[in-house]
Amino acid sequence: MSTPILKIENVSKRYGKKDVLQEVSLTVNKGDLKILIGPSGAGKSTLLQCINFLVKPDEGRIWLDGQEVHYAHKHDLYAYRQKVGMIFQDFNLFDHLNALENVRIGMVKVRGMGKKEADKRAVMELERVGLKEHMQKYPAQLSGGQKQRVSIARALAMDPRVMLLDEPTSALDPELIGEVHSVIRDLGQSGMTMIMATHQIGFASSLASEIIFMESGRILEKGTPEKIFCHAENARTREFCSKITELYGETR
Amino acid sequence: MPDSLIAVRDALPYLLEGSLVTLIVVVGAMALGLVLGVPLAAAQVYGHPVLGRLIAVYVWFFRGIPLLVFLFLFYFGLCTALDINLTAFTVAIIVLGLISSAYQSQIFRGAILSLPEGQFKAAQALGMSDLKAICFVVLPQALRLSIPGWSNEYSIILKDSAVTYALGVAEIMARAHFVATRTYQQLPLYLAAGVIFLILTYAGTKGLRLLEERVRIPGYSPHGF
Repeated sequence: MSTPILKIENVSKRYGKKDVLQEVSLTVNKGDLKILIGPSGAGKSTLLQCINFLVKPDEGRIWLDGQEVHYAHKHDLYAYRQKVGMIFQDFNLFDHLNALENVRIGMVKVRGMGKKEADKRAVMELERVGLKEHMQKYPAQLSGGQKQRVSIARALAMDPRVMLLDEPTSALDPELIGEVHSVIRDLGQSGMTMIMATHQIGFASSLASEIIFMESGRILEKGTPEKIFCHAENARTREFCSKITELYGETR
Repeated sequence: MPDSLIAVRDALPYLLEGSLVTLIVVVGAMALGLVLGVPLAAAQVYGHPVLGRLIAVYVWFFRGIPLLVFLFLFYFGLCTALDINLTAFTVAIIVLGLISSAYQSQIFRGAILSLPEGQFKAAQALGMSDLKAICFVVLPQALRLSIPGWSNEYSIILKDSAVTYALGVAEIMARAHFVATRTYQQLPLYLAAGVIFLILTYAGTKGLRLLEERVRIPGYSPHGF
């Protein structure tokens, strides 16, 4: 078997006395789309932020392409983060830059690309998410769905090995969710490796290679969408899935 | 023409020369305060907690001692004790600049803290070092937000600069005082000095307001004016 793209072993995080993550392990292979589900406070977001060390895990080890990440070495950490794209729930576009500059800044300031070359690439990525004609607009002039698509373009411009998506559609109006989902679907079909936290289980079940159910900082159960949504072993998983299906529509 | 007006008219070129001195002192002090204040603010927010505490002491020190005490301490005390040969003009800029750096650092710190936390996180997630994130993401936004506070700081320094007359800096106040005591036209001359200060305050704050509008992020805070 080939080396997994991302391997996470026994990652734990405590805030004071509260265990937010308890010995979470995960192996992600090329082209996987792992979906994290679970109630709020389950640790989905903390797990994603621990994976690129925006939150420093208290314990645990992480490998990218078979190489262990030593996050205490700043140089290694910055190089690693370039290869791990992050999409936030509230977009976090840089407010003082227009869409094009948002996509360009990482290439120019982090990867050291020339402005012209970076411009070309930025336009390409914006075209890919369907926003080429909006590239001169500032975040405050874009809709939520457009902002999230710019943030996806910004991550893609760094040529990530894996993308982490932290509830990318939770802050969006229902009618804007579709445009972001379709971009993520295209990404999945082009072979992008992704880990995504979401409550949109209809979308999740149609695309995921694996569903991971988390609660209280642990992975309670994982399996194919069919297994988790229809034949879950754990009673809590079944309970959560039936509640969320009621809320967010049928699983497909 | 009454004597009072004649006195003002005669003194005007002399007073305007003083305005130039005042302006150089103020611009110099603001610039020194900016150059020191920005890194102080960034270090206080993003640096090691020990560094943050040291900066807090620095701020306390320079905000806590009256300007006049500082000017005398520096000019008559320190410069004499260490045998440094600085003009009153230079000392005025340095002292006003150091004090302003303490105030300005807190203007910038407030602006930095008002940015959504996600801005810095998103920069880190792209692989930026803390320094790059601060320079390319945090400061361009924080400095824009600092302009209103900075405009405040300008008018305060402008008025504080009159105190440097005590060292013999030939600024507006020193010259008005000099002419007033010589011609016995105190009222019109101090009034003229006051009017010049009012005009300088107006011009500066107006200029900063225009700057604020010029660098405004499109689509952002449209009700600023």
